[in-house]
Amino acid sequence: MSDLQDLGPDRVDAVDPVAGQIVINALATIADEMATTIFRTAHSTVVRDVMDFSAAICDPRGRTVAQAVSVPFHLGSIPTAMESLLGHYGGRFRPGDVYLMNDPFDGGIHLPDLFVVKPIFSDTGILLGFGVTTAHHGDVGGRLPGSSACDNTDIFQEGLRLPWVKLYDEGVRQPDLVKILRANVRVPTMTFGDLDAQVAACVVAERQVRKLGERHGSEGLARLTDWIIEYTERLVRAEIAAWPDGTATFTDYLDSDGLETRPVPITVTVTIAGDEVIADFTGSAPMVPGALNSTRSFIMAAVYHAVHCALDTRVPNSAGAFAPVTVVTEPGSVTHVVMPGASSMRGVTGFRAFDAVNGALAQLLPDRIPAAGEGGNTLAIFGGARPDGSPFVYYELVCGTWGATPTHDGNDGLSNPCSTAANISVEVAEAEYPLEIESYGLVPDSGGAGRFRGGLAVERAWRPLVPDVSLVIRSDRAVTAPYGLAGGQGGARSSNIVRSADGSERRLEPMVSTRLSAGEVYVHRTAGGGGWGDPALRDPDRIAADMREGKIGASAGPDAG
Amino acid sequence: MAVRRQGSIRLGADVGGTFTDVVVQHHDGTVRVRKVLSTPPRYELAVLDVLADLLAQPDMQAESITAVIHGTTVATNTVLEQRGSRTALITTGGFRDVLELRRLRMPHMYDLFWRKPPPIVPRELRFELSERVAADGTVRRPLDEHELRRVLEELMAAGVESVAVCLLHSHRHPAHEQRVASFLREHAPRISVSASVEILREEGEYERSATTAINAYVRPVMEAYVDRLDRGIAEAGVSAPLTIMRSSGGVMNAADAAMRPVFALESGPAAGVVAAAGLAEQLDQPNVIAFDMGGTTAKASLIEQGQVSRAREYEVGASLSSGSRLIRGSGELIRIPTLDIAEVGAGGGSIAWLDVADGLHVGPRSAGADPGPACYGQGGTAATVTDANVVLGYMRTGAVADGQIELDPELAEQALVDLAARLGRRVVEAAAGVHQLANARMMRALRAVSSERGREPSDFALVAYGGAGPLHAAGLARELGIRTVIVPAMAGVFSATGLLLAQREFHDVRSCRVSCDAPDAPAVIGRLFAEMAGSAKTAHGSDGVRLVPSLDMRYAGQSWDFELPLEESDNWLRPDAGLVGVAVGAFEAEHERVYGMRYDEGAAIEVRAVRLAAVYRTTTVPVMAPATSEAVPVGAHRETWFDGEAHLVDVRPRGQVPTRAIDGPLLIDEYDTTVVVPPDWTVRREPIRDCLVLERHP
Repeated sequence: MSDLQDLGPDRVDAVDPVAGQIVINALATIADEMATTIFRTAHSTVVRDVMDFSAAICDPRGRTVAQAVSVPFHLGSIPTAMESLLGHYGGRFRPGDVYLMNDPFDGGIHLPDLFVVKPIFSDTGILLGFGVTTAHHGDVGGRLPGSSACDNTDIFQEGLRLPWVKLYDEGVRQPDLVKILRANVRVPTMTFGDLDAQVAACVVAERQVRKLGERHGSEGLARLTDWIIEYTERLVRAEIAAWPDGTATFTDYLDSDGLETRPVPITVTVTIAGDEVIADFTGSAPMVPGALNSTRSFIMAAVYHAVHCALDTRVPNSAGAFAPVTVVTEPGSVTHVVMPGASSMRGVTGFRAFDAVNGALAQLLPDRIPAAGEGGNTLAIFGGARPDGSPFVYYELVCGTWGATPTHDGNDGLSNPCSTAANISVEVAEAEYPLEIESYGLVPDSGGAGRFRGGLAVERAWRPLVPDVSLVIRSDRAVTAPYGLAGGQGGARSSNIVRSADGSERRLEPMVSTRLSAGEVYVHRTAGGGGWGDPALRDPDRIAADMREGKIGASAGPDAG
Repeated sequence: MAVRRQGSIRLGADVGGTFTDVVVQHHDGTVRVRKVLSTPPRYELAVLDVLADLLAQPDMQAESITAVIHGTTVATNTVLEQRGSRTALITTGGFRDVLELRRLRMPHMYDLFWRKPPPIVPRELRFELSERVAADGTVRRPLDEHELRRVLEELMAAGVESVAVCLLHSHRHPAHEQRVASFLREHAPRISVSASVEILREEGEYERSATTAINAYVRPVMEAYVDRLDRGIAEAGVSAPLTIMRSSGGVMNAADAAMRPVFALESGPAAGVVAAAGLAEQLDQPNVIAFDMGGTTAKASLIEQGQVSRAREYEVGASLSSGSRLIRGSGELIRIPTLDIAEVGAGGGSIAWLDVADGLHVGPRSAGADPGPACYGQGGTAATVTDANVVLGYMRTGAVADGQIELDPELAEQALVDLAARLGRRVVEAAAGVHQLANARMMRALRAVSSERGREPSDFALVAYGGAGPLHAAGLARELGIRTVIVPAMAGVFSATGLLLAQREFHDVRSCRVSCDAPDAPAVIGRLFAEMAGSAKTAHGSDGVRLVPSLDMRYAGQSWDFELPLEESDNWLRPDAGLVGVAVGAFEAEHERVYGMRYDEGAAIEVRAVRLAAVYRTTTVPVMAPATSEAVPVGAHRETWFDGEAHLVDVRPRGQVPTRAIDGPLLIDEYDTTVVVPPDWTVRREPIRDCLVLERHP
């Protein structure tokens, strides 16, 4: 069986560009079918409701040729994962194999994100490519329900670490691995439900990619996917070449090192040179004691995403988009975790790296970059026992709001563009978990002032119905507000408050693990988006509209908006 | 001498944004068609004008008309154009922003300048009540009538015309919502009130709020429209009741449509699918994919074993950025029974363009009707799919559609010259690329309703209609492995004939969480069926009404259901463990078919909703096409390109296609389209409906 067929450098030239575009459409359709399958068959709220998963198709060399519209951050993480898989198993793939991995030190992006990959073979045994999925699992073991906690201090507290292993060997599910998984996670039905969803998506990919292989022949398909990657690169380079050359540095901050509240700088120097972009994170904080350390691949994903967003054209989701972009990280820094650093909550570091890259790009491309949004989704993980004694893990992800753009107000209440997650229905959450949601809505006067104001913050409040519930919070932007641009002001800061039945309140740090006792209500407020432009230039009609809608003016005059 | 026809006449009127199609069916099944420009915003005027014109004919009498069935885009356009009434929302305290937050998602990645559409009810008109019901339906905080009074005053002061009421967990405990609705109806009779439990009793506060709010928003507009149309028809002397097509493919009476217009949002596209299903039945083709391609969009829907496929949600006002239906957020998500129709932004008017790396793209931008494709000669210069089709010889040039449009081949070629030069290809090659890429985009819609649901497209025939459908059908079919393409007569107005076939129907639903292995599962399901059957009987009686039961099922823990029909002959009103077992088996089989896997034996399966449709048994007459008489010069030929080769191809009118199969290539020029039969296909005329059947050589 041959894994790679190198047909020489000129094989791309032989491709009809129209045929190439048609295959881009076909592969994108397959990736969407994979994503639909995960969404419809998954079990945990993180995957099925919040939609924290991705699906992609890679060529026989592990290069992405299509990705479904789901989590942009995952796109840039796939190359590292596939490189690692090919390093371990390259040349030894067999039809029916399914591979599983979550090791952040060998291709993964943190323990909860499980990669499930299936090699796809033609009838004649030629490797056509891979169906690739990654999904954020609600629990993979570790010291606290949900596995992720800002105050995890090394990888061994974060759950079960799996290097690349076979979940299926030539079609046979590996019973020993299943036993290990079952013994190490808190809610096995949820874990296996999500894993099965990922496998089902890979089966869908296999079914359809094989048809594509039959249509074009395995060589023909390889030539077409090569062309897709080459064309994508050409497209991205042509756009970057039109940008002005220059260098700019920006520093943004995390509120906490995971254990205590202190500013943790993320510094990036972005250089546009010709048709390439370099993002250098030298100068960022060293690794932190808590679980905010990011894998290098996740930081790469944040940079790719920022560059992608600044482009005019919608570029195919292929590996070619990465070639013109170079990312520099220092091993042992918060942007490049090394053994045994904890990384389960590195999501927020990725969000901040995106904000930092945008802060630098805004100096070079002022018309293309909006002010900072809420700073990323807040995680709130509730764990405990139901009235009947069975365990539950409820994974909440509070999505916030957008920064103002050079032409419009920030969107009020919209998922961060890095994750495009959904919210969890109040009625569904209350029916499935022992808690009630007391309120869910926008916070007036929380958008940064500007000629265009930042989006409003979002607030959600939960009241557990069972005593002694563990609560893990990963929020941010309680200290360093989302930045405004071009004279616009920063957004309002975030907050975490626990209200007791007697009305007394305690304020929580942005990143904390705690417990809620009976009758307590946890209230989280995200940050608001930053404003853009001089507030004095704001159109009075917009101020009047905001007043009428109660979006400003609840606590201050028109200037607040 | 005028022929006075005997018997009943059925009249269907399909009002679209641009055209209004009216079909008249005589008792022997034959139809005749009128296509006129629509008359926005007074859409009823076009219908009434055509009606008056028809009644002036000697063979038409008002009293012979026994049914008037109407498909309308009025409700949808009201939403799209934001011309609805001043609408308020009343909801549970702490949740007024649910409608504005939506599900927080956006429809595509990498766009930091994307703007979320404004909510259908502005924030200052969203009111809160301090009542609260828990997830199990128990009352945590009772309804406060004083508060209700205060809200009423605010509604009046704000000049609100229509109110949506959606309280948390009302699907479990409807009493609070019902009380709010009756209070408002009593004290503010001029405000139109829509309560969520009267629209759908399903879990999900955002979807229920949005569905109810959209209903409230379009209701006064729709009420007025239906009233004007109804009166106009009566004034013309027609005593037959007016019925309106629902998004689900059935019809409802005018009063119901005025009260619950949200059910008629996708009225127009539904008619086309019903027409395709009717044609398929007449031709004994149980499995077909309906494919409708017009000027700006293409739509696809699956018909399996003669049954249309249904979906339970739909995004109104959604942009057509891609064929992906996973990604929501560009429109308001409403949950109503609808036909499962996938739509992509690709049509005859779609514009072809090159990116900075000279990559070719088609759509989603469209030249629309004005200026239209370059070859229309109305000032458009952008190359469109239609221009490509003209260059390839697929479309006839000169005057078409009664001379309403004149197609100029030189303008079409000119539009493609730049594109071809940048691609380094000949103009015909560039045109072929545009044609193929339009097909590739439409493939996403076709795949979304077939392979995405575990259905192999090659097991289906393609029914192609709409102005551009017959031009692209054979090429698309080849890509999908489909061997048979059916092109109905008058493909451009085919949709409207579906109105003549629609049955009156009603849909009811109860959300639940019942584990199939629970001992009381049959009893719970039976109780919910009995409840719905009771209200169906009260509302519609039992004469000539067929009750169609189904269950929404999923593996415990999943968030997506399959709707599985129960055998109507079974005793579903008093289900037993055996009946539940059959449903479980059917669910597992369907899950495996769609997702390629089933869980281990004994994996918990839940019933999440119980549904009951009440369908009237109305007799409809199969549609018979009128004889076609197109003036095509005898011996006409056109140079036409297939797979990079030029062919001199015979051009015929439909009437000259024999009933035994002849080999392509062949072009059949029609009133408003051309049927393209490529070289590796055969074509024959099917006498039953005068449609053309294309078959690919094995």
